[in-house]
Amino acid sequence: MREAVATSAKVRMGLPATLFYRFRKSVKALRTFAAIAGPGIIVMVADNDAGGITTYTTTGAKYGDHLLWFLILLGPVAYFVQEMTVRLGAVTKRGHAEAIFHGFGAFWGWFSLLDLVLIDWLTMITEFIGMTAAMSIFGVPPWVTVIACWLLMGSMVLSGSYWTWEKIALVLCVGNLIYIPAAFMVHPSASEILHNGLVPHWPPGGLTNELFFLLMANIGTTIAPWMLFFQQSSVVDKGLKEQDIKFGKLDTAIGSVLTVVVATFLIVVSARLLSGRPVESAAQAALEIMPVNKYVGTIIAIGLFDAGLLGAICISLASSWAFGEIFGWAHSLNQNIREAPWFYAYYFLDLVLAGAVVLIPKAPLVLITLFVQVIATTLLPAALVFLILLLNDKKTMGRYRNNTWQNVANISIVLVIIILSTLYGITTLFPEVLQ
Amino acid sequence: MSLVRAAFSSLVAHVRKINRRYAKPQIEMTWLVKACLVVLRLYLLVLVCLMIYKFVKTLKG
Repeated sequence: MREAVATSAKVRMGLPATLFYRFRKSVKALRTFAAIAGPGIIVMVADNDAGGITTYTTTGAKYGDHLLWFLILLGPVAYFVQEMTVRLGAVTKRGHAEAIFHGFGAFWGWFSLLDLVLIDWLTMITEFIGMTAAMSIFGVPPWVTVIACWLLMGSMVLSGSYWTWEKIALVLCVGNLIYIPAAFMVHPSASEILHNGLVPHWPPGGLTNELFFLLMANIGTTIAPWMLFFQQSSVVDKGLKEQDIKFGKLDTAIGSVLTVVVATFLIVVSARLLSGRPVESAAQAALEIMPVNKYVGTIIAIGLFDAGLLGAICISLASSWAFGEIFGWAHSLNQNIREAPWFYAYYFLDLVLAGAVVLIPKAPLVLITLFVQVIATTLLPAALVFLILLLNDKKTMGRYRNNTWQNVANISIVLVIIILSTLYGITTLFPEVLQ
Repeated sequence: MSLVRAAFSSLVAHVRKINRRYAKPQIEMTWLVKACLVVLRLYLLVLVCLMIYKFVKTLKG
């Protein structure tokens, strides 16, 4: 009956009126999306942090375009994992740390929180390593870079507005797209990329230990523990509700496409300009590219700085939010420094301690980078298992809990990630296993 | 010194309060959830043992 009335109303409205109605509806949806979008795009693009940029340049230099298909596969994987944090945050209004404490009790809560704090701090150090190395290429001393980063990252959060912070972070996300023009500047052959990169196959030489290690490194850089904590807390701080979940999912999907696009274009660049050369870091890659193509080398260095900065602001916030949630401190970017002193104190302390380590002469920076990979192995499986269990808890999630298909996809992804990240951690600890 | 002691005892009190607040897990403890948590404990135990072994081996080497 209701459908019949609606149909007759549409007939009376006529075609122009129907089109106008649909246009207005689309504009309204677009406006709502623009207001809600942010956390997904930021977390996914920040995923291409300084460590990620190094991994991609190494992948391109070593295996050319042959692993592009693998990276493209990682896009949906990252989406499926992060999408769960959007639902969990929007439904429970709790950050990931608080959700673990609430769901699994104090033991697992403290384990996750302290592990997160340690890994975030270590990862922050790797971001500072990337930023100082990038700016050293332009002759800027590390201490100047570190102090400039402290000031920049401090001023970003002091506005007392989540929106301001998010807009600045989105500008940094746009900066991450700098690798796209760089790829066009090396004039790659589209047919070669499509032929070599998009059809799943092992690179020449087959599945070797070295290739296996690099594949695991790519997975490790695509799914990181801090991402789960960051996006869920960000969704809560932004105030997303159940009805916003579909927009949150779209935001995450766009972010996952962007992260894959950036990684793909960077691999295309390094495959063309660094083919066959051993690459230890993105900064070294930029330096080696400089004599071949000055502009592309400069772009790689700028992109590395941008990636490190974006990664650092997101990672330090992930820890600050988590601590605020558990200790009951005011912990929103919408509160100013007087209203949330401990939240900002922790944020600044994290920044200062991470930056200071880079300035210590002869600090074991390579060891720290390796340690990040190992510690991530202890937190990532736990965080993913908690996520799956919480998303299946009817009492917590109600009608937003995982359905059968989501469970099939998510549990398969989580199992594969756990197995590979464990192997990655073990081979980092015992490289002789791969000999 | 007394300031540090006061700050430390305040932190301990806060941690105890958090422990009391989250003493009981709120998730429905089905056999699957319990099994997952047991496996997770074993997994972490093995990893920690591996790390300690590596640490000792590095120190000796």
